[in-house]
Amino acid sequence: MKRCRILSLLTEDLLIRIRTKLTDDVDKKSFRLVCKSFYRVDSLSRTRLRVLRPEFLLDLLAKFPRVEIVDLSVCPRVDDWMAALMLTVGNSDSMCLTPRVRSLVLRRASGLRHVGLEMLVRACSSRLEMVDMSYCCGFGDREAQALSCAMGLRDLRLDKCLNVTDVGLAHIAVGCGSLERLSLKWCSEITDLGIDLLTKKCLGLKYLDISYLEVTSESLRSIASLQMLESLAMVGSPSVDDAGLHFLGDGCPLLKAIDISRCKGISSTGLCSVIKGHRSLVHLNASHCMVELSSTLLHWLKDLKCLNSLIFDGACVTENTIQTIPTGCKSLVEIGLGKCSWLTDADIKLLVTGCNNLKILNLTCDSITDASISTIVENCRNLVCLKLESCNLITEKSLEMLGSYCMLLEELDLTECCGVIDRALNHLSRCSELQCLKLGLCTNISDKGLSYIASNCTKISELDLYRCPGIGDDGLSALSSSCKKLKKLNVSYCNRLTDRGMEHIGKLEELSDLEMRGLKGITGAGLMAVVAGCERLTQLDLKHCENIKDSGFWAVACYSKDLRQINLSYCAISDLALCLVMSNLTCLQDAKLVHLINVSVGGFELALRACCGRLKKVNVK
Amino acid sequence: MNVKERPSVENWTKPSAIVNELPQNTSINNQSFNSTNSQQHQQKCVNPSIMDYNLEALSSKFNQSSENPSFLPSSPCNQTKITNQDDVQMNQMLQNGKLLGWDPRAMLSNLSFLEQKIHQLQELLCMIVGQRNQMYDCPEELFPQQQQLITADLTSIIIQLISTASSLLPSVKHSLSTVSPLLGQLPQLNGVLCPSTANTISGLHLQINGDPMQQNVGDLKPSDRSNPVEQNNSSIEVHEFKEEDNADEDEHLSPGSYEILQLEKEEILAPHTHFCPICGKGFKRDANLRMHMRGHGDEYKTPASLAKPHKEASSELVLLKRYSCPYAGCKRNKDHRKFQPLKTILCVKNHYKRTHCDKTYTCSRCNAKKFSVLADLKTHEKHCGRDKWLCSCGTTFSRKDKLFGHISLFQGHTPAIIPLEENKGLSETLNHAENLEAVSKVGRVGFSFSTNDFNGNDIQGMVDLKGNIEEACFSPFDFDACNLGPFHQESPQPTFDGLGSSFSFLISGDMSAVQSGTNNIG
Repeated sequence: MKRCRILSLLTEDLLIRIRTKLTDDVDKKSFRLVCKSFYRVDSLSRTRLRVLRPEFLLDLLAKFPRVEIVDLSVCPRVDDWMAALMLTVGNSDSMCLTPRVRSLVLRRASGLRHVGLEMLVRACSSRLEMVDMSYCCGFGDREAQALSCAMGLRDLRLDKCLNVTDVGLAHIAVGCGSLERLSLKWCSEITDLGIDLLTKKCLGLKYLDISYLEVTSESLRSIASLQMLESLAMVGSPSVDDAGLHFLGDGCPLLKAIDISRCKGISSTGLCSVIKGHRSLVHLNASHCMVELSSTLLHWLKDLKCLNSLIFDGACVTENTIQTIPTGCKSLVEIGLGKCSWLTDADIKLLVTGCNNLKILNLTCDSITDASISTIVENCRNLVCLKLESCNLITEKSLEMLGSYCMLLEELDLTECCGVIDRALNHLSRCSELQCLKLGLCTNISDKGLSYIASNCTKISELDLYRCPGIGDDGLSALSSSCKKLKKLNVSYCNRLTDRGMEHIGKLEELSDLEMRGLKGITGAGLMAVVAGCERLTQLDLKHCENIKDSGFWAVACYSKDLRQINLSYCAISDLALCLVMSNLTCLQDAKLVHLINVSVGGFELALRACCGRLKKVNVK
Repeated sequence: MNVKERPSVENWTKPSAIVNELPQNTSINNQSFNSTNSQQHQQKCVNPSIMDYNLEALSSKFNQSSENPSFLPSSPCNQTKITNQDDVQMNQMLQNGKLLGWDPRAMLSNLSFLEQKIHQLQELLCMIVGQRNQMYDCPEELFPQQQQLITADLTSIIIQLISTASSLLPSVKHSLSTVSPLLGQLPQLNGVLCPSTANTISGLHLQINGDPMQQNVGDLKPSDRSNPVEQNNSSIEVHEFKEEDNADEDEHLSPGSYEILQLEKEEILAPHTHFCPICGKGFKRDANLRMHMRGHGDEYKTPASLAKPHKEASSELVLLKRYSCPYAGCKRNKDHRKFQPLKTILCVKNHYKRTHCDKTYTCSRCNAKKFSVLADLKTHEKHCGRDKWLCSCGTTFSRKDKLFGHISLFQGHTPAIIPLEENKGLSETLNHAENLEAVSKVGRVGFSFSTNDFNGNDIQGMVDLKGNIEEACFSPFDFDACNLGPFHQESPQPTFDGLGSSFSFLISGDMSAVQSGTNNIG
């Protein structure tokens, strides 16, 4: 009875407030499962709906009246027919889908063609603000035309829509004049003409991503006319040169973030003109595009008072450089100097002494020693992310210092650091906030070290143990007993692992992404234990697990219904098992089936027929 | 003549003997000017005449003409007389313009003189025709003589007309500044006078230094004039300068640096510009004509007659030629306020056909596009059917960037999406079109060759062009248009080339050639 009174104290208003504080999906699920009133509050206040299976979509929509964001990205078989169904049912029902949906996430919904898309878009034309069509390989000009009916569209993502040409973009530009955010990454058919038209029609663009397009400086000339542009990403555009950056320097008065990494055609003079024109730049990413940082560039860099993030990965950095950067930019939050050769401890000292606010530091460089780490630790107590990939000179001492002072550390990359040993991990385990730890190729760690981490860093969600030969079943045992939040685990080529270790992995209920390549000691029983325990598994890599027999794959077919990506290359799977796996895994989007020695051509045919077009990508050799 | 009525003769600062004697002699007796050549030279140099645009050229021609006294014994005197006469007339006009306005009586007398002259020429031609009919096999030496005679008469008519017209213009011009109602008459007069002159003579209107007013003003420049005239000059000059300022916009030639030629409509549209004087067959190029002439006898096979007609004047004169469109009101017409001259005769032809003629060539492929110039049709046929870039408004474009430019200009227009299957079909038709083109290319070679002739070697091209114009302008075709039919129909002229060359001086702006034939004026 006492319990009931507590619940009666919690009014709906209070419950709604409490619910808004919850961010994690798992917590929300727990909240929903408390009791009926909690469930009702959750239903009423839910705005986002991510559907795994299309068959439940309509019911769910009816249950959640305030849903504004519909995410169908993990939903297989999103096609024209389904769209039509959604609309017909919706129209007859008062709780229909269309008038309230503001965002549609249709990533990887390759089955949805222009007919269905047009129906969807027309039904919710005026309110639709955001559409994500990324990775829809079927998305072409006709689909773009259908999409252009959404007049009020503000945010559109078309990453890797390979079939969209300038014509399609023109439709979108003309139809959706109020676009503010547009991502055209990897849309390789789009040229300068399309970009030019876009900049003439969508004058309110604030965010534009034209990475990996075949555009030239002419596009930048057009883009420079966008008065509202705040962020421009232009990764991997080899045809863009300094002239283009010069246009950019003269235009786009509100530009705050620019990413020109991997643009091979530009030099520091071009970058100078951009910096000269935009003193309020906040993010600057020019990694892997310049060999040398000239002194004039550094001179101009000093004037960027608002600069938060400065990334010069792959640049040739000298002492002069390092002296210049921190004297001007005290507000730096992120510094990227990865793969900068000849970076010395003295440089690091100069670099970090001023930057007290530094949170993200990338020093992927093999010349870093413990001295650098000590200066970093002294100055940057707020460090959240530190990348020290292949810093072979780092020893136990560094990790001890990190463990003692950088208590906020959440992400640490120690890949290929030979100096990391079990005792070092013991020191590091004091960073209890650690969420992501990469220990790949750290050959000197063993189960003992892993157990230190596991016992203290319970928030860890991503762990990389790629090719750590010292790790065995006991380590995984410690991990599975305490790190219940682990979502992503890589145990590839940890050859000592056996089925017993797999049973421990099976205890990690949150695990969604498991990579276990080249584990010769694993048999079907081990795999069965994993898939039976990890219900949320969406990605599974079994490459070169040659000793797994059909029983394991049967288990995969039976248990892992949510599996979206699977790699079965070099496995001893038979015709029948493959057929079963492909037909049972209804959410499967991506399958790699390279070199399956026991599978005949007929078996392949049967398997691919069995998955009947749900598969978005098959890699068969 | 009205010379005596001229007021304030005493104003002239020239030696009074010459000034006073000259008009009298002009009106009374030509013979009083039968003095030596050297005297003539001197006199001519002292008295800059209205027609004396290029003293050097003139004097050289002057010498030349005086070297051949056989046909024109009195030409030097006449020349001087004419120049002086014109000079006086001109000055008088200017002064009259200032004080009284232009004198219609002077104009009337000029015109009646012209009338007489034309009658005289008609009679002469009738006589020649009659003679030829009677004795068809007469010695051919007579023909050059007759021809020279007619040429001389024609030239004198030309001279008189031009002098009449041009003497009129400054007075009108001058009255402009004082009498405002006459302001609108200037272009009118220009438009009326110039073509009429051209019609009467040869379809060619000739002007030197671009503007008749300006040259006249320029002629008045010598400082041995009285004060009032000088002041007058300066005021006119300023005015002129303003007008000329906005003239040539696209081609930055100073107004005086080129001469303007204007062909008549019939001339422009004539399929052939070179005609065989014997059989009348027409040719497009004079080289072809010369080849053809070989068939008419051995005398046309000599290297001299086969050689390209040489012109001495072209070597001396570097004055650029520019062309005017005969269509009144056209921007390419010299009377247009913002006149833009055409550069070559080919430009004239293409411009006239494109702008002022019907479009007679229709594209057989699309049946929609029409052209007046055959070359345009062929250019279009190259691209016809390739307009694969379609806008939602129905407009097609051959190039994607043009379509996108169109879309960016117009609100709501979008590019049409061509389905893949249709695209394939389109590409097939395109291939077909290319094959067709390859076939038709063979037939097009001749055409392109003829255009190359115009655009090829610069100097050579210019010379060729000159030849074309001259012979074009004086081809029988035009005489026909001027009701001088018998002239060419019944009197084949073996020395056609000679005639052409004698006229060539007129074309190239050397007025002395014209003046050399003025022996019959008095």
